Amino acid sequence: MNDLRDPRKTFGDALVDAAEKNQNIVALSADSSSGSGLTPFRERFPERHIEFGIMEQGIIGFSAGLATTGKIPFVVAIAPFVTARPFEMFRNDLGYMRQNVKVVGRCAGLTYSDLGATHQSLDDIAIIRTIPGVTVLNPGDPVDIVKAVHAAAAHVGPVYIKLGSPKMPVLMEEDYPFQIGKGVVMQEGSDVTIIGTGTVLSKAAAAARILKEKGFHPRLINIHTIKPLDRQLVLKAAAETGKIVTVEEGYLAGGLGSCIAELLATEHPVPMKMIGIDDLFCDTGPYEELLAQYGLQGEQIAETVETFLA
Amino acid sequence: MQKLSRDAKTELEKMAVQIRRNVLRLMKAGRTGHIGGALSVVDILTALYFKVMRVDPQNPNWTQRDRFILSAGHKCLALYATLAEKGFFNHAVLDTYGALCSRLGGHPDMHKVPGVETNTGALGHGLSIAGGMAMGLKMDGCDAKVYVIMGDGELAEGSNWEAAAAASHHKLDNLLSFVDRNHLQISGKTVDVMSYEPLDERWRAFGWGVREIDGHDMRQIFENATDIPFEKGKPSVIIANTVKAKGLSFAENKVDYHYWKATDEGLVIAERELDDIEKGIN
Repeated sequence: MNDLRDPRKTFGDALVDAAEKNQNIVALSADSSSGSGLTPFRERFPERHIEFGIMEQGIIGFSAGLATTGKIPFVVAIAPFVTARPFEMFRNDLGYMRQNVKVVGRCAGLTYSDLGATHQSLDDIAIIRTIPGVTVLNPGDPVDIVKAVHAAAAHVGPVYIKLGSPKMPVLMEEDYPFQIGKGVVMQEGSDVTIIGTGTVLSKAAAAARILKEKGFHPRLINIHTIKPLDRQLVLKAAAETGKIVTVEEGYLAGGLGSCIAELLATEHPVPMKMIGIDDLFCDTGPYEELLAQYGLQGEQIAETVETFLA
Repeated sequence: MQKLSRDAKTELEKMAVQIRRNVLRLMKAGRTGHIGGALSVVDILTALYFKVMRVDPQNPNWTQRDRFILSAGHKCLALYATLAEKGFFNHAVLDTYGALCSRLGGHPDMHKVPGVETNTGALGHGLSIAGGMAMGLKMDGCDAKVYVIMGDGELAEGSNWEAAAAASHHKLDNLLSFVDRNHLQISGKTVDVMSYEPLDERWRAFGWGVREIDGHDMRQIFENATDIPFEKGKPSVIIANTVKAKGLSFAENKVDYHYWKATDEGLVIAERELDDIEKGIN
C-alpha cells in the first residue's frame, strides 16, 4: 500500500509507450493536455498531439473522422466533459459508427472534490454503458491503468477509460494477465463477495482486510471492466458466497452495482448491498473527507458489510 | 478554374433528372420521406459524384477515395438515389426503402449502405466528422478531399461552429462544405426560425474561404467545387442557393413538403414533371 502513483502520469507514460509501438495512435486534447498527463506524449510525438481547445463536442466528431482514416485517437479530458456533455456525439459518432476511438475521462468520480458537481463525474459509467458496442474500463490501480491503455489500444472499437486523479496505491501484480472483460479475484473468501472498481478498489481492499482481521472470510474481486461484465465470475461468486457487496465512486443508478444487480436479479438472485453515491449532487471539500461523507472509506465499507452480514 | 463543357453540362443535367426519378422510386416504395431537402441537393450530389469526386463504386473503401458526408442526414433519399445511379448498389435496393429491416433507413447507415461514409441524422455532427477525415488524410499525405452538405436550418446547431473553428485552426484546406440554403426548415423560413445571416460573413469570420452560387446550376457547382481551396490554407464553403423540392412545381418552396406523404396521384404528376424537365434540357 506504500507504493503510490499518480494515475494521470501513469496514463501519460503508458500512452507514450503504446504510441511507440503503434504509429496510428494520436492524442487529442481539449485544452487539457498537461492536466491529462499528455506532456510526455506531446514532447515525444508533437505531430501526433492535436489540440482542440475547450471544444468538447467537436473533438468527439473529429476523433471519429480521424478513426475512419486508420488513426487510433485517444481523446483525453476532464471526465464529465467527454461523456455527459458530448453524449450524443459519443453515442452516434463513436458507438453507432463503431469507430476505433478511446475516450479517457480523467479526474473522474469525486476527484474534483472542491470544484463541485459540475466537475465531479458520477454518471459516466451509467450513461456510456448504455451505448451498444462501447467497452467501459475502470482501472483499479496504477498497474490496471497501464494495462488498460495497452488493451484499449489493441482492442478494435470504441472504449471509455475512467481515471481518477489522487495518487493510487499499487494493488495488482505488475505481470498479472489483464484481459478486457475478465474480473480478478484478489482474495478468496466464502462469507460474502466485495466487488470493487476504479478509484475505490483500494477502499474495498482495505475493508476486506479489516473484515478478515475480524474473522470474516470475504472474497474480493476487482472489476476493471464494467462492460462487457465478467458474468461468469460474478455468478460464481454469488453461488459460492451467497451475498454480494459492490463498491464504486459513482452513482448507484446505472453503475457497477446496477450492472451486477441486473445480472443477478435475472440469473441468480442473492442479497446485495450497493455502496456508492445516491441520487444527489455531492458536496465539496477535501477528497478523502468527501469519500467519508458518502461512506466510501475502508472502515466505513467494512462496517456496512458487517451490518449486512449480521 | 476548370471549365465545364456544354456537353458535360447537358449530361449532368440529364443525370440529375434520372437521380430525381430514383428519389421518386424511393418515395413510391416507402411512401414517406424528406423530399424537400433531398430535391434541393440533387444537383450538387450529381455534380460531385459524376464529375468532381474520385470514388470507385466497386471499391467503396478505397483508401485514396474522396469522402462525402451528408451532414443533413434526412436528405438521404438524394444520397441513396445518387449512389444507386453511380453503381454502389443495385437499383432494386431502392424499392426496399420503408420496408422492415431495409438497408435504406430514414437516415443513412454506413454499415448497411455501400458508399455511405457516416451515420448522420442528428444534426450538427457531419462537419466535425468530416474535419477529422480531412485531418487524417492530410496527416497521411493523401491528396483526397472531403465534401460535406449541410442544411441551412442545421446551422443553428452550435457544434457546427465548433467544427468550423477547428477546421480553420488546423488549416484543413482539403475540406469543402456546401450549405444547402433552401431558406426553409420544418417550422418556416430559416431567417424567421433562427437567422444565421449574413451567412457569408459568418463563415468568413470563422476563417473559411467563401463563395455563393446557384445550387442548381451545374456549371457553377462544378467550376467552384473543383477550385478548392478558395483561399490557401483555409477550408472552403459554398453557400448554395437552392429551391426546396426543386423539380416538382407543386411542392417547390413549400414547407409542407419538408416531409412528404406521397400519394399515387402526386407521384404520377411528379414523374410527368420530370419528363418535361428532361425534354427541356439542351
